[in-house]
Amino acid sequence: MVQPNSTKRGSLSENQAAFLLLLPFLTVYALFLVYPFFRGIWISLHDWNLLEVAFNPAAKQFVGLSNYERVMWGRNIEWSLFSSPLAQLLGVIALLAAAWFAMRLQLSRVTAIALAIFGILLIVAPGFHPGPEGRWFSPRFWPTVGNTLLFVAWAVPGVTLSALVLAAALDRETRAMGILRTLFFISQVLSVTVVTLIWQIMFSPRQGLIANITEFFGGSPVVWLTDERFAMAAIVIATVWWSLGIAMILFLAGLQDISKDLKEAAELDSAIGVRAFWYITLPNLKRTITLVIVLQIILHFQVFGQSHLMTNGGPNDTTQVLVRYIYQTAFRDSELGRASAMAVFLFVIMGAFSILQFVIGREED
Amino acid sequence: MKTTVVSAVLATIVTSGISAQELTLGRFFGACEDAGTDTKTSVGEACIIQSIINAASEEIEGVTIDTLPTDWGNYYDQLKASYAGGTPPDVHVMHRHRIPEFAGFGALAEISGDLESVGIDPTNWTDSARAAVSYKDGIYGVPMDLHANLWHINMDLMEKAGLVVDGKPVLPGSPQEMLVHARKLKEATGQDYLAADFAQFPIGVRMVLALMWQQDANIFSDDGTATINSDAGKKAIETVTQLFDAELANPQLNYADSQQAFLNGEVAILVNGTWVVDLYTSEAANEESELSNYYVADFPQLFTEGATWADSHLWAIPSPVKSDEKKYQAALKVLAFINEHNIDWARTGHLAVRQSVLDSDEYAALPHRSEYTATASIARDTPPSTQYGAIQDVLNRELQAIWLTDKPIEAALSDAELEVQSLLDR
Repeated sequence: MVQPNSTKRGSLSENQAAFLLLLPFLTVYALFLVYPFFRGIWISLHDWNLLEVAFNPAAKQFVGLSNYERVMWGRNIEWSLFSSPLAQLLGVIALLAAAWFAMRLQLSRVTAIALAIFGILLIVAPGFHPGPEGRWFSPRFWPTVGNTLLFVAWAVPGVTLSALVLAAALDRETRAMGILRTLFFISQVLSVTVVTLIWQIMFSPRQGLIANITEFFGGSPVVWLTDERFAMAAIVIATVWWSLGIAMILFLAGLQDISKDLKEAAELDSAIGVRAFWYITLPNLKRTITLVIVLQIILHFQVFGQSHLMTNGGPNDTTQVLVRYIYQTAFRDSELGRASAMAVFLFVIMGAFSILQFVIGREED
Repeated sequence: MKTTVVSAVLATIVTSGISAQELTLGRFFGACEDAGTDTKTSVGEACIIQSIINAASEEIEGVTIDTLPTDWGNYYDQLKASYAGGTPPDVHVMHRHRIPEFAGFGALAEISGDLESVGIDPTNWTDSARAAVSYKDGIYGVPMDLHANLWHINMDLMEKAGLVVDGKPVLPGSPQEMLVHARKLKEATGQDYLAADFAQFPIGVRMVLALMWQQDANIFSDDGTATINSDAGKKAIETVTQLFDAELANPQLNYADSQQAFLNGEVAILVNGTWVVDLYTSEAANEESELSNYYVADFPQLFTEGATWADSHLWAIPSPVKSDEKKYQAALKVLAFINEHNIDWARTGHLAVRQSVLDSDEYAALPHRSEYTATASIARDTPPSTQYGAIQDVLNRELQAIWLTDKPIEAALSDAELEVQSLLDR
C-alpha cells in the first residue's frame, strides 16, 4: 500500500528532518551553553558588582579589556630570558626535541608543531616579571595558574598510569575480577563532598587511617592538609582515587578491542606478561591513552571541590586553583567582571587542549 | 477510600494555602536533626537555633518556616548568589560585618518603623547591639548576640603548673610572661600551653587583631589606609610565633583538631569563641572526657589596653520582601520571636543583646557566665568595609604563610598591606 502522493506532500527533506530532530538539543544547547558563554564574555568587559547590579542594573560599567589587564598584567612588567630559568630551560628542551624528532621523522608534523608551540610558550610566558618598582595587579593570579598546572601535571599521569595498570590487571573474565572492577569504579560515582570528607578523615593527624599506620610503624603523623609540602599531594591522591573509574573503564574497553589473534601470535613468539603488555597492548592502546589524557587534562583544569573543601586553598595559597579563585572573585568579592575574565582565560586553555585532541584524533584516522 | 484520601489532601492544600504564610529561612550554624520545639533544653548553636525556629513555626499563627539547606563555609557566597538570582530567603541570619555590603547596595529591608508593631523594643538592646544592626540612619536587622574570642581553660593542667590561685587561672599580663607560663606548663605537664585554629579558619587572625588593638593599632584606618605593616603588627605576630618557635603550641591544627586536642587534655588553653561554652561545659560533665575542670576567661590583656575580637549575629529581611505586605509582616513576627528567645540563644555562651535579659537572674545563672563578664567591654572589630571577607582572607593567608611556611614576618606584613590597600581602593 504505497501512497506516493501523501508521503510527498507530508514529508520533509532530509535536512529539514535533521533540523527538526536536532531542534530540542539545539534549543537546550543554545540556552544553557552558547548564550551563557557569550554572556560571560560580555560580563568580562564590564565592571560588574554581583550584589549591586542585582538591585541596580545601571550600576555596571563598560570597561573594555581592563578586567583582563587587571587580572593578568601589572605595573612595570618586563621580560627577560633568565627570570624563570627552570621552566624556560624546559621550554628550550621541548623546542629542541620537537626539531630533532621532526627531522628524524619520528613524530608526525602536527605533534612536532604542538610540541614546538608548547616549548615556545614555556620560554616566553614565564619570562615576564615585575621590574623595579613594578607589581602584578593581581599578585595571586599567575601563582594560582601555576598551582593549577602543577595539579594537572600530577593528577593526569597519576590517574592515567594507575587506571592503565588496574585495567590490565582486571582484564579477565572471572567473577572476582568483575567484583573488583565494580569496586574500583564505585569511587567515581561519589560526589566531591563525600570524597573530600572521606579523605579529610583519612588524612587527619589525630584519627586518620594514614596517621595510625605511620604511628604503628613508629613515625610521627604528617599533618597532610596544612603542611605546605604535603597539601598538594593530598588533594592529588584524593583526586586519583576519585577519578580512576572512568579512565579504567575506557582502558578496559580499549583492551577488549585488541584482537585475540594478535595476542596469540605474540604468545607464539614468546611475548607474554610484561613483554606482551609493552609490545602488543600499549601500542594498540595508543588512541585510548591519548583520549584519556586529554579528557583528564580538560577535567582536572576545572578542579575546585578538592581544594575548596580539603585545604581551603592553603596553606599560603599552595593549593589555590583557578576555578576556586574565579569562584571567590565572583561570589566572595562580588567582582563578576574580573571573575569572568579569568573564566575566559580558563576557556582558552581548555579549548587549546580540545583542539589538540581533535587534531591528533584526525591525524590517526 | 480513594476519594477520602484525595479530598483530605486537597483540603490540606487549600486550607494551608489560605491560612499559612510560608517563609523560607537561611542560616549557618550547622545542621541539627530532630531539634524539636523545646527551646530550653537543646545544646549547641545548631540545635538551639533550630529549636527556636521550629517553635516559631509552630507557635506563630499562620506562619510556617522552611529552613533552607545551606553550608556554613560558603554561606555568604550562596546568599549573594540567591540575591543576584532574585530568590533570597525571606528571613536570614548574617553578621554585623556584612551590613555595609548588603545594606549599602540596598539588599536589606529597613525595618526601624515596624519594630514596635510586632513587639520588638529597640531601646532594650545594648548600644553595641543597636550599632550592629544600624547603617547610616536606618535599622537593617534584629541583633541576636555579641560573640567574641575567649580563652577556654583546662584547670587541671594549669593547677599542675602552679597557674591557679584562689580557684582562678593565672593569666599572663605581657607576651614575655605568656612565654614564661607556657614553659612552666610544658615542664610540669609535658603538654602544649595554647591551641587555636591557626591553619584554616581565621581564629589566629582574630588573635593577632586583638593583640594589635591592645596596642591601640589597627589593620586599616577609618579613612581606608592600610596600616598592618607596623611595629604593633610585628609585635602582635611575634607574641604568637614565640610559642610556635619554642614548641609550646602547634600551628598546624585546624578547628576540629585544635578542639579535639583541648578536649583530650593535650593543651591547657584553647582560643575559641563564645559559641562553644555550653558544648565544652557538657563535655566537662562527661565522665569519659579528659577535660573535667573547665574554666572560661576573658581574652587577657597582654599590652596597654584590653581588646578581643567580636562580632554580632543578626537576622535580616531582604528588601524585595517588603513589597509583599503579608510576607513582610510574617517575617517581622519571626524576628520578634527570635528576639523574644534571646535568653535561649545566650545558653550557647554568646552574650545576650537585650538589657532586660542581661539583667535577669536566669542569665546570670548560665554556666561560667561570671567568668567572662569583661568581654562585652573589650569587644572590638576592624572598621566597617564592604571588603571585610576579602581582607580577612588576605590576613589569614599571610599569617598562615608565617607560621606554616616560615615566610618572614616583614615580608608577609608588607605583602598583606599592599593587598589590603588594593582592596580598600576598589
